[in-house]
Amino acid sequence: MSYYFTIIGTRDNPLFEIDFGTHKLGGDGVARFRDEAKHMNQFIVHAALDMVEEAQWMGKDLYLRRVDTFQNNHVHCFLTGGNVKFMLLMNPDPTASSYASYRSPPPSRPSTARQSASMLAANPSSQATEDAVRQFMLEVYEAWLKCIMNPFYQVNNVVTSPIFRGRVATAAKKYL
Amino acid sequence: MPPTPDDPLQSPQQSTFDPNIQNPRIRPRPGPVNSPLASVATLPYRRSNASLSDLFSSTTSLSAQASDSGSATPTKNVVTEPVFSPAGSATIKSPSSSVSGAPFAASSSFSEVRDLILRAFAPHVSVIASPDTEELVRHKGVNGGLLELLRPFGEHVQGKVTIRDSVGVGRSWDNYGVRFIGPKDGLESPRPNERPSTSSSVREDENIATLTEYKPARLRSGGDVPQIEELVERHLTFAEEQSGPLEAADYINHKDVPGINPHSPSPFYMHYLRRLLSGMPMVPSETISHPVASIIAISSRSQSPIEELRNLFASSNGGEHRLPQWVHNEFLRYYVLIHDEDYDDITKSMTLFDQMKRHFGLHCHLLRLRSTQCVSSDDGSIKLPRCEWYSAAEELSEITNREVNEDEDPTPYIYESDATAIRALVREMVTQSIIPSMERASATWNDQIASRRRGLSGRFMSLSKRFTAFGGRNSSVPALTGGSSNYDSLQGFYRPDAPEALMRKLVDFAMMLRDFKLAQNTCDILCQDFKTDKAWRYYAAANEVQALSTLLVSNNISNKSRAETIDQALDAAYYSYITRVGAPYCALRTLVLGIELLMSHGGSALDDAARWCTRILDDRLVGPVGHVLIMERIAACCRDRARGDRARKAAFWNFLAADAWLGMDKASQAEKCLIEATRLYDLISLDHSQPHSNGHDEDAQFSSHKINAGENGGLRFDSMTRYLTSLKHGIIANRSGPHHLDGADLLAAGDGTTDELTPVLEPLQLEADQLSAAVRSPIGKAHAHRKSLSTANAPVLHSLNHPPMMQALDPLGVSALPTLSSSDSTASGLSPVTERREIRDDGFE
Repeated sequence: MSYYFTIIGTRDNPLFEIDFGTHKLGGDGVARFRDEAKHMNQFIVHAALDMVEEAQWMGKDLYLRRVDTFQNNHVHCFLTGGNVKFMLLMNPDPTASSYASYRSPPPSRPSTARQSASMLAANPSSQATEDAVRQFMLEVYEAWLKCIMNPFYQVNNVVTSPIFRGRVATAAKKYL
Repeated sequence: MPPTPDDPLQSPQQSTFDPNIQNPRIRPRPGPVNSPLASVATLPYRRSNASLSDLFSSTTSLSAQASDSGSATPTKNVVTEPVFSPAGSATIKSPSSSVSGAPFAASSSFSEVRDLILRAFAPHVSVIASPDTEELVRHKGVNGGLLELLRPFGEHVQGKVTIRDSVGVGRSWDNYGVRFIGPKDGLESPRPNERPSTSSSVREDENIATLTEYKPARLRSGGDVPQIEELVERHLTFAEEQSGPLEAADYINHKDVPGINPHSPSPFYMHYLRRLLSGMPMVPSETISHPVASIIAISSRSQSPIEELRNLFASSNGGEHRLPQWVHNEFLRYYVLIHDEDYDDITKSMTLFDQMKRHFGLHCHLLRLRSTQCVSSDDGSIKLPRCEWYSAAEELSEITNREVNEDEDPTPYIYESDATAIRALVREMVTQSIIPSMERASATWNDQIASRRRGLSGRFMSLSKRFTAFGGRNSSVPALTGGSSNYDSLQGFYRPDAPEALMRKLVDFAMMLRDFKLAQNTCDILCQDFKTDKAWRYYAAANEVQALSTLLVSNNISNKSRAETIDQALDAAYYSYITRVGAPYCALRTLVLGIELLMSHGGSALDDAARWCTRILDDRLVGPVGHVLIMERIAACCRDRARGDRARKAAFWNFLAADAWLGMDKASQAEKCLIEATRLYDLISLDHSQPHSNGHDEDAQFSSHKINAGENGGLRFDSMTRYLTSLKHGIIANRSGPHHLDGADLLAAGDGTTDELTPVLEPLQLEADQLSAAVRSPIGKAHAHRKSLSTANAPVLHSLNHPPMMQALDPLGVSALPTLSSSDSTASGLSPVTERREIRDDGFE
């Protein structure tokens, strides 16, 4: 599992970016994204903003659950009061993403893609995952509130604080 | 993807084209990427090949067809011209042509696709001709015999065709057509089978030479996705070679003309779709491609015409032309007497024709043709129109053929009088024989079989049938016979006279007669029956038709019923095709048709369409070309969402498509997608600066965006911006893709561009604007240059005549200076494509 977490301001501008891997199941906490993913993650998250804007009016929760999926990337979102979006992209196996390119089809029959998709879908949309992500988001939210209380911080400024980064990393280590 | 497993009933014909078709991936010439020198060497060869370019442009744009055949499809041509013009070299590209296309709204694209789908369900008419008839037609210069002569004229029946539906309401269609097929078309895979066999049509051994040019029947069957891929790939490559930087500039021009329709699907997608739907293979589970009628033709040359007719009729019933036993054989026979205007006596033919009329009643026609060969210089000569509904294999073999014999154009000429006579034949046959007999047959089946099954008693009947079947199995009857079921599960089909098979035929007749309500109602019953019998292929096909007919019936389906009926039907069809039957072609056809029809519904149906598209991509039903085309379709789905609230997604998919096109060396396609993506991304950022304008009036926004593009930051994701920029550079570097630069040009261009080291991270929009603005200005002049100089494109580009354009096109000097571009690639470091190109340039230098 690799994660890409970004905080997006009111003008679709990224305020904060971090990527990390899982610490569960003996993971070392290092993201295993391919080189392409550096920009593809941004594209995917940016495209998911459309779904966020649609989902934000649907329920009363600020945590919007999984909003979008692209190939095996799943995007969860948490909306803050100031219309700042916490977007968490998770990818169980970044090497399996083909993104735009058409890779030669796997030798198996086409239907297996669907089977594996359903197998993966059991992970990112399961209750356990949702709970973990929710807790992670809440913890980041608290850190975020404290961070933007800084009198020198202005809306839509990029957050560079190492302390905040450290807190996000800790939350990730704790829950994801 | 393998060809559908349920194929080949081998047929005996073979041709000399086999080596070319056998391995479609191997081209007759080395591809441009592998060997730059070789490709440069072949360039003038290919570009000068007028007949080949005619083939490409005419199949893609249909413009040649319309201009040649005169009355064939004038309106269609007007609609498609502005859309298709980038692809074909034959069409004139000027701002005025795009202005003429301005009034077309976005909805025209949907009607275009819908029209295509409607016409895909056309009755098939098989053509059986006596040997002397074939000889006569070959003598005219049409090598394929009577079938090839008739085919192009069947695709559009002249004038309106009125069809009465099951309720008795008549409706007129002006886009009706029939497909003429060979007697055994669609039964075998389009790939040649290795088993050598004797050609059945070699009866006259003297014209072996003409027979080698004759297309074997297997080529006429489609349903082979890799071949469609290969074909569209060739069209793309050709378009790429034809489009230099200046054509690419034309795209930018298109964007600036207000009202020009950027929303219609790309011509290549339309071509893909058309080839997907042409030459549907003949299978038991759907009767669309089964012949509805058969033309039996004799000529006035025959010594014993009545005897000849009898033989042909017998051969279609039991002899060599007999179709497999699952085909309902009681279709209409239409008797045609071909009179040789040049050599034979008309009074004799008239007496013979009267005799035929007495024997066969109404279904006769006297076709008067001239038998002398027509050349282009003759009075009133026209080219034989081009078929629109070729199968992919057929078009591929045609392309290969023309590439080999480069100078001659094999399209035969015929006399205008012949064309008129054939059109009259087709019209009379369709309106007076085929349609009435189809109406009658479907009314009969509807009354006698289908209506009994509707309503409460019908449900009960199926229930009791199931019950007795169950009881039968419990008793001593062996389970193999399937109780009282009509389904032969061993051989996998229903007898053609079983009620299920007849109802299935009713459904297909209803589709062909465009009575979608009837098709929908009947499919309901059929799906149940097939499911009970576990006839999965039939079940899938019935679900497919049910989804399509439901989508075609009404224009506003509620979300709920859509989810209940269409989604379910599509899903059942797809699942059965893939997992139970293993027919990926059929699955792809189902989904693509479903997607297109869903898209024409608009609104939230677009979400469904996008979802099914993703399914196609995920399951890899298509090859690389189709993959990108489908991505473009997803982008279109997102873009068309009512309030424009999917702009980011649309931009994202456009970007993906651009990336993939570039990876396939299709720079002009990539550019088109990237321009669209950039436009959408800019719109979004504009949206954020002015929160209240909601993207309703895109054109106004677009123009206003052009003004304040500079101050607006655009995308704020740095990697995205960087990648888009590098993509843009990749496109610019590859734009003149197949037109290679000469060493001298490189040197000449060198001093012109060295000083243009603009910063790498130039803001995106700025560059796009600069690009479009600069390219637009010199277009008229440079365009003329390009037309006259074939390989010497690069000098035009790089000469100092257009320094501002050069600067805008190539701020980094990527295309001109290999040394510079290497430093560029390390700077941007992201685009693999740029790097790959450099290697090629280096090698060339």
